[in-house]
Amino acid sequence: MTHTVVVADDDPDIRALVRISVTRAGLHVVADVEDGAAALAAIREYDPDLAILDVSMPELSGIEVCRAVRADVAIGDVRILLLSASVDEAAQREGLDAGADYYLAKPFSPRDLVAWLSVGKEAR
Amino acid sequence: MRALLRWVGRHLSVDRPSPLVKQSATVVAVGVATLIVLVVPEIDFTNLVTGLAGLAIIAGATAIAAIFTRVPRLARYALLIPALDILGIGAFRDGTGGTTSLFGSLVILPVVWLAAAEGRRYIVYAGLGTSVALMLPYLLSLTIPQTPPEWLRGVFAPLIFATAAGIINELARQSRVQMRAISQMADDKEQMLQKTVEFAAQLQESERKFRAADRMFRGVWAAVTEQSVIGTDVTGLIDAWNPGATRLLGPTAAEAEDKLHIFDFHVEDELEARARELNYPPGATVLNPGFSALVESARLGHAESREWHYLRSDGTTIPVLLSVTARVNEKGEVIGYLFVASDQTQAREVAKLKDEFVGLISHELRTPLSSILGYLELMRDDDEHPLSTEQLQYLGVAERNAHRLLRLVGDLLFTAQVESGKFPLDSRDVELESIIASSVESAEPAAAAAGITLVREGSAGPAVVFGDPVRLGQACDNLISNAVKFTPRGGTITVSLATTATDAVITVKDTGMGIAASELDQLFARFFRASTATRNAVPGVGLGLTITKAIITAHHGEMDVQSEEGVGTSFSVTLPLAAVSATA
Repeated sequence: MTHTVVVADDDPDIRALVRISVTRAGLHVVADVEDGAAALAAIREYDPDLAILDVSMPELSGIEVCRAVRADVAIGDVRILLLSASVDEAAQREGLDAGADYYLAKPFSPRDLVAWLSVGKEAR
Repeated sequence: MRALLRWVGRHLSVDRPSPLVKQSATVVAVGVATLIVLVVPEIDFTNLVTGLAGLAIIAGATAIAAIFTRVPRLARYALLIPALDILGIGAFRDGTGGTTSLFGSLVILPVVWLAAAEGRRYIVYAGLGTSVALMLPYLLSLTIPQTPPEWLRGVFAPLIFATAAGIINELARQSRVQMRAISQMADDKEQMLQKTVEFAAQLQESERKFRAADRMFRGVWAAVTEQSVIGTDVTGLIDAWNPGATRLLGPTAAEAEDKLHIFDFHVEDELEARARELNYPPGATVLNPGFSALVESARLGHAESREWHYLRSDGTTIPVLLSVTARVNEKGEVIGYLFVASDQTQAREVAKLKDEFVGLISHELRTPLSSILGYLELMRDDDEHPLSTEQLQYLGVAERNAHRLLRLVGDLLFTAQVESGKFPLDSRDVELESIIASSVESAEPAAAAAGITLVREGSAGPAVVFGDPVRLGQACDNLISNAVKFTPRGGTITVSLATTATDAVITVKDTGMGIAASELDQLFARFFRASTATRNAVPGVGLGLTITKAIITAHHGEMDVQSEEGVGTSFSVTLPLAAVSATA
């Protein structure tokens, strides 16, 4: 079975970079959106195994999406990876408190992301 | 009152009547006597010569009295006049019947004058004068009284006159004493009156000055509209309230003064938090504990500026920078406090905007850098189309420069955080030896490449400080990488750690190009670059030392630098040891 992933980032280049990394790790991108509201809709629609969310996005921030997902009992067990350009430790803590499983600071290494995704896939 | 005192002084004085006025009584009496002699047939001059001589003497005495009246400085010889009168009356008596004369009693008039003079001796003079006057018939005829009545006439009557003179003398003396007392009192009153007048003038002058100062003060007080100035007594009851306070907080002076307390305008939670900070046991003060906390420093004599929130009458709060000072009386006792507050809303707004701007810039710079670095890595990792060695080399340059940009963004963001006071420190007990070891280790490759010997000198014992290991590591990295950058090939960098009783001291010493003495004090300023750095084309933007210093300061440490141009530079960092900082 292929693992499904929803990717959300307002920067198309970063989104493409994430897509490439996800694909390289052998996972399947089911939706690729550019704002928080669309991300939440896609998660509801596809019930993916993983959501990779940028923290600062229009409409809803990654953290708000994260909270909404965790608060919605209709949404199944989805792992969430937050991506952020902020290096602030408080922001990172806020993300994890909102229910994210992992927090990756930009700029990230695609190599590391692929490795993390691969390990996560095996753990399933 | 003054007029009455003057009147008393002028009219009751014994010594004031002029000699001529005093003489007038004698002149009138002798005049009447002469008239009697001329008019009454039975009474006539018995001896025309002595009678006329007597009148002449009295006329002379009157002339002298007139002169003395005109020339006041001769007044002290005035008693010559009654003396002459006595002699004149003696002669007149002799000329009008001698011992049988009607006019012996006239002598009483000059005797009274003489007797009233100041001094007991005039009693004797009056007695002797009378005696001479009454015995004048014998003296003039050069005969000696034969019978006892004749003798007694020269003794008895003068004795009576002398007695009368004594009484008059005493009465006059008493009167003089009283007059002097009255006169003294009058003088005293006059002086007091004078003083009162002068005092009133002084009072008027100081009142004028006070009014001018008051006007000045009121002008300034009313002009300060950008600051709220509030005065209270020692219990916090407001007794002064300027227009700035009305503008900032709402109530007018009339609504606030003597009615409201300063702590009515403070957020209770803030006051309580401050009271807790100062470790006030609950109920320790009779005053509002929040108020005590508010004035704590001022009460101890230190003016204090601190950020608080004021509560406005419309219920909103406003951030203020508040300076509290004690008001003291002339004895130096605290009688109240003065609260000067300035609105910080704008300053906060600016700080917030700056934070947002820095955050935005940082985010906007990091996002494209993420793409650059990510895609470069994808190129490097493309196993299907491997790059040539040359291409990989080009890629390395691009990656190195992208990382350099990224570091710069990080440093800028960090500097901004330091400035806005948001300095995240994740502190714990840290062993400095290991931090220095890892910093030296990570600098080894760069030092080796630059042909520099990196020497590490260990400490005598463990040096544990309470701090953030990441930030302390960053500080050490900065100092060592700086030393590497500024030391020419063949040089040596020595990193050492020493401890004192209270502190740990890290020293990074190089044999580099050094820093000019004139530039040492600017060394820690943001974006400062030493002239030796620009001259030798050492890369950098001048944030490293600013950040290092900020980290050390946040750890309650100190930084010091010694340098000699062309010889080398030595940076030392002093940090309080954990055991010490825990008890401090």
